[in-house]
Parts: sequence; C-alpha cells; structure tokens
Amino acid sequence: MSENKSKPIKVKTKYAKSGPLLLIAAPGILYLLINNYIPMFGIFLAFKNFSYKKGIWKSPWNGFQNFKFLFHTKDAIIMTRNTILYNLAFIVIGTIFAITIAILLNALGDSIRTKFFQSSLLLPNLMSWVIIAYMVYAFLNSDSGFINNTILEALGKEDVAWYMERGYWPFILTIVYLWKNAGYMSIIYLAAIAGIDKSVYEAASLDGATKMQQIFRITLPLLKPTVIIMTLMAVGRIFFSDFGLFYQVPMNSGALYATTQTIDTYVYRGLMELNDVGMSAAAGLFQSVLGFIIVVTANAVVRKVDSDNALF
Amino acid sequence: MFKKLVSTLLAGAMVLSLVACGSSEGAGQTATTESNDTAVAQTAEADGDYTQITYAFVTFNTVPDDTSEVEEALNQITRDKIGVEVHLMPLSIADYTQQVSLAVQNGEIDIFHTLGDLGNSIASDMCYDITDMIDVDAPETKALFEEEWLKTTMQDGRLYAIPTLKPFALQPMLIYRKDIAEELGLDLSSVKSAEDLTPIFAQVKEAHPELTPLAPVSQGDSGLTRWIPSIDWLGDSFASPTGVLQGTDMTVTSYYDLADFEKYAGIVRDWYKNDYIMKDAATTTSAAAELMSSGGYFAYSASYSYPLEDTAASLSAPSGYEVGAIALGDAYLDTSSMNAVAQVIASTSENPDAALKFLNLTYTDADVINTMLYGIEGRDYVKNDDGTVSYPEGQDAATVPYTAQLSCGVLGNFFIQWPLIGSGSAESLAWEDEQNHNAPTSPAMGFTFDASNVQTQYTAVSNVIQQYLPGIACGSVDTESALAEFRQALKDAGYDDILAEKQTQLDAWLQAQ
Repeated sequence: MSENKSKPIKVKTKYAKSGPLLLIAAPGILYLLINNYIPMFGIFLAFKNFSYKKGIWKSPWNGFQNFKFLFHTKDAIIMTRNTILYNLAFIVIGTIFAITIAILLNALGDSIRTKFFQSSLLLPNLMSWVIIAYMVYAFLNSDSGFINNTILEALGKEDVAWYMERGYWPFILTIVYLWKNAGYMSIIYLAAIAGIDKSVYEAASLDGATKMQQIFRITLPLLKPTVIIMTLMAVGRIFFSDFGLFYQVPMNSGALYATTQTIDTYVYRGLMELNDVGMSAAAGLFQSVLGFIIVVTANAVVRKVDSDNALF
Repeated sequence: MFKKLVSTLLAGAMVLSLVACGSSEGAGQTATTESNDTAVAQTAEADGDYTQITYAFVTFNTVPDDTSEVEEALNQITRDKIGVEVHLMPLSIADYTQQVSLAVQNGEIDIFHTLGDLGNSIASDMCYDITDMIDVDAPETKALFEEEWLKTTMQDGRLYAIPTLKPFALQPMLIYRKDIAEELGLDLSSVKSAEDLTPIFAQVKEAHPELTPLAPVSQGDSGLTRWIPSIDWLGDSFASPTGVLQGTDMTVTSYYDLADFEKYAGIVRDWYKNDYIMKDAATTTSAAAELMSSGGYFAYSASYSYPLEDTAASLSAPSGYEVGAIALGDAYLDTSSMNAVAQVIASTSENPDAALKFLNLTYTDADVINTMLYGIEGRDYVKNDDGTVSYPEGQDAATVPYTAQLSCGVLGNFFIQWPLIGSGSAESLAWEDEQNHNAPTSPAMGFTFDASNVQTQYTAVSNVIQQYLPGIACGSVDTESALAEFRQALKDAGYDDILAEKQTQLDAWLQAQ
C-alpha cells in the first residue's frame, strides 16, 4: 500500500526537480531541432536532379551523379589533402600554443596584467575574417604593402608578389589562424588549470619540485582529458575548413589555389557559377559522412587506450 | 563552412516552406507582404476579379519600402487594358538570384528575369514554355524582335523567355583621363586596338612615374578577354570562356588556344614588367571607377553599348575625372549578348497568360514601363519639356520614395523609356538601334548551348579557369609556362568533353537551319 502510494510522488518529485531544468533547456533543444535536424531532410537532395517545377519531393532521383564533380579532377586530391593537413597542423600547433598561453597566464596569477593579456589575446577572435583579410592585405599587397616596402626594402631584398606565390601561404595561413584563435582556445585550458587542486602544487613544491617539473609532472598530465575532448571535437570537423580563412584571407587569388583550396572553397567556387542545389547538398553530405566516420574511429581508439576519457 | 551553411539553409527553408504553406517565409519585408497579398487575392479574389501577378526584378537603386502607390498607378492602366493587377517585388542584386529561386519554388512570383543564367534556369525547370502563348498574349512584343533574336531564348525549338530590348552590341573601349591625355598631347586617334596602347602607356609612365597607366576593370580582368575580335562565346560568360567560335569558322576552338589570346597575353605581360598595369590587378577587390577616382591610374578598358561620347560623359562622374573614350575594336553580336537579361514567366505561375500580357505592356506601353522605372509623377520624378525626366526639386535618386532608374537596361523595352536628363539624345538612341540591327553578327546567332550533359566538367573547368586566367590576363605570371600549365590542367578537368559537346550541339543546330 505504502509503496504504491509513494511511486507517483516519486515520479512527481522527479519532474518537479527536472522540470525547470528541461524548461531552461527547451530553447536550446528547439534550436537544435530547427537548425540541425529539420534541414537534414535536405540530405536526399544530394541524390536528386533538382527541378523547380517538380519541387523537392517529385524531382527525379539521379543516383550518385551529384557526387561526381567532387572527384572529377586531381583537384579532389589537392583540396582533400589541403583540408586535412591544414586541420592537422591547426589542431597540433593550435593546442600547443593554447596550452602554453594558458600556463603562462596562469603563472602570472590574479592581476591586472593577466586581465590585460587575456583580453588582448581574445580580441582578434572577435574580428570578422573580412577585416582580418584586409589587415593581411595591408602587410602583403605588392604596391604599398608593409612587408615589401619596409621590411624587404630595409633588408635590400627583391619585392615578393605575395598573392601570386603559393609557397608562402601554408605559413601565412597558419600564422593568421593562430593569431586569431590561440587566445580563444587558451581560455578552456586556463579554466581547466584553475580547476586543478592547489594543494597538489603545494605538496610538490614542499618536495622540492621546480616550476618546470610542476608544469610537466602535474599540469600537463591533469590537462590530458581536456586535450582529448578538444582534439576529438576538432577531429570530427577535420573535413570542414574555416571558410573565411581560406577564401577571404588569400583574397580569392587563383594562383594560390594549389595551397589554399579546401573542400569548402572548391564547392563554393564551383557552385557560385552553377547554382546547383543537388551538388551543394552532395558536397555537404560527403563532408559530414567522412567527418562522422573519423570522429567515431578516433573515439574508438581513445576508448581502447584510455576508456575514461572517451567521449561516448 | 559558409557553403554548407547556405546549402543547409536553402534546403531547410524549402522544407519549412512546404510544411508551412502560404505562411510568410520571405526574408525581405517586401517579399513577405507581397506573398501574403497574392495569397489573399488568389483565394478570396477580394480585388474584384482582376488576375493578380507578381513581378520580381533587380533594382540597383535603394530597395523601396513601399511599392503600393506605384502598383496602384500601374493597375489603373492594366485593369482596363488586360484585366490584371500587378505587385512589384524589387530586390537588390545581392539577394536576387536566391530570393527568386525560393519564390519560384513556392509559386510566389509570376515574372522574373535572368542575369546571364538563362541556360541554367531552363535546365532546372524555372521557365514557363511560352511558345504557344506569345502570339496570343504578346504579339506586339514579338513584332519588335527580329526572328533570330528570339531564337536566343529558345531551347529545342521551344521559347522560354523574351530578351530585354536594349542596346545589345557591346564595344570594347579604353576609358582614359582627358587631363593627362591633353597635357601630354597623346595621339589617341592612332589607337585602333589594344596593341597600339603600348607607346601611349610608355609616354604616360615616362611623364608621370607616379601614375599606373592601366587599372583592371575588376578583379583579374585587365580587359584582355574583350579585345579579341569576332568571338561567339557559345553561352559562356566572357569572364570564364571555354570553347568559342571566332569569325565565320564553325569549328569550336578553345579560347586559350587562339593566336590572339597568346598575343594579347604576351602584350599584357610586357606591360606588367614595365609597370604599365596595376601590380595587384589579378587580386585587387577594387573596381575600375574606384581606382580611377583614387587618382593613381590613367585608364581602364571595358565594354559598353552606348556611343563613345555618351559613355565618356556618363563615366566622368563616377571616375572622379573628366574621361574620354576610344574604341579598341568593333561590337559583335552573339547569342549571349541577346539573352543575358531576358524576361521569364515562372514555371510555377498560376496565371501565365496574365503575366505574359503584362510583360507585353512593358515592351509596348511607355506609361507602364516608365511608371515601373520612375514611380509617381510629381512625387518621384518630374517630366521636362524635351521628354527627359528629372528628380523633383531638391531630391535625388537616393531620397525619392521610389525609383528603379538604374534598372533601365533590365526591364522591358529600353527604347520607349524616357531618358534621364542629360542622357539618351535622339541621335544616341538611333545609333544604338542601328547597332542592334547592323553590328557584325556571329554566324551562330540563335544557337543556345545546353550544358546539362557536361555540368560536372563545367564545375571543374571553371575552377581551373579561375585559377589561371586572372594571372595570365593581368600579366602577373610568366605567360609561356603558365599557359602550358593552364592547358594541361584544363585537359585534366575534362575540358575536351565540353568542346566536343559544344561541337555536337552546334553541328546539330547547323543541320536544322
């Protein structure tokens, strides 16, 4: 009797507890549904020859025809290579920079200096790529750019046509990427470091550990879970590139495509001309499927090696 | 990232609009009210049995907040004449293609126009087949066109659009600063084509080392692709040509294998080495007028369809200096010069006959087309004694409630539009009309290329072209080695398939003639 009675109360209290939380989450869930799930119906457009008259439901199917353009030239290899290598470089170098910044900022302690450095490191992240593209342009343009007219002139070197020489761009893009993003990424690591128990450091310094030893023996090992999660999330997007970085910053210069072309920019350029709904859906699907496979694989590897830190 | 965003948004918006049929999905305010109006009128027929149609067009002026008064002025004419009420949907150029494609999908608009994408619009079923309707609904308009001209908007013998009637013949010109030319006493009358420019540029550079003689028209466009004479683009844009015809030879030739292309590429390369052309021409995001008004440049080369003096007069204000114009070759008419901007009845239109009847008026009724362009007399414009139009005292194009004056080359019939004051003299109009009928014309005039069989190759090839053409056209890469690399990359991208497909279709077309 008493048990029967207590059950509904239990359910009630459960709802009473989680109800407000669900309410808070509702806008987020709604947003996810509208923004991420409903458009998924569009996926099958990738397999259709879209006709305006017939609409999306009645347009005829055309198998894998829409995917063909992605693999039609050796551009496919170049853009896939660029996308993956840039992302790998960004993940590795970006993480190293972010952790270094976080450790340095943490070492400064709570002071106005820290706030100042933190804010100024964060500032580039708030700028749009278009603005950054013109800042880069101010450095690199051939006629009046800072580098050609000041630095190279002072060194007595020949002018460089930066927007025509593809060899420099892997470095330029990496520098620009780090300048914009490293400060922002460091915040997460800074928070993780702040969460480390201070008594561990006290004990270590009592035992005579130097600052360096503390960093390598305590901070870095304890940051491992954060690094793994951040890397896994970045790996899942390894087939996507930051469109602004690869399209705006090189000023869409054709001569640079060999080192600046990524899947996103290729698709954008190709489809701006043809305005084909089916092909753009196909490209989006291709990227997503590959990204999905990679994130599942990476997670499986992490689970094998260190099951506590796997995402799922 | 951005591409994916756009495509998912597109797909999402389409799905949403299917689910929420008839609700207001339009992003722009005009679009929203318009679609509601149409829906209301179509279901309730509240406006007294007049058929309702919606016309979406590009305005290069400010997009007006309220078009209802202009619509009322139009409807006073159209109710009596054709029993139709029209809703105007002026859109900015940046939104146009996307808004139109969504609106056609939803059946919200009845009339729109192409912007160089007719082939694609036909291929994706956006255009109503008006072959059998034009004789009934728009015979007067049909009579305005030479038979060949209407073939440019046909595919497989079916008519899908009506070209905008305007000066078609684009002539390559050099637009130069008069003050410099007079100061140095340059003999520009000796210039007949682009190669004659080298000594002129040398003189300018010598006297004014701070000036760069040639500015690009826009990114990567030195003007080179306009200088080669007698080219039929066979459906491509001049910014991204593939297989073309030159002169009377009916063999489809790669544009980049033409002797003229190599010649001009070499000339521009020499200019680049001598600092006669802007160093960053291949990558600059500034357009010609902006560069000219910065004071650092002497000239640029582009194509216009108006007489030399008119062109120079109208370009002086935006260029910031008084400019002159000389021809660098003759105008040449081909299919794309006709069908680049053409009026289309949407395939999803419920009242195609009414829409075509209204289109007919925009070609034949001066009051209709000029109300669409200029708005309400007294409020938006005043008419002068000589038949020209001015803005009301103290107003200009940016302050009047409604004007679409800059769409004069987009809508209906240019030749019955009232000219804005200071332009469009009777002699100019006569010259332009004469050019339309008598300029040298491609033997393949009327041939339209259907790219749907080689669409994959087109995407790949256009990427290759964007990669190499700007550098070669602006002289910033070594011509010989870049051309060799370029041709190989084109081959790898399936270029030969496009040329072969063009030749096949062209041969079939010739057979049918």
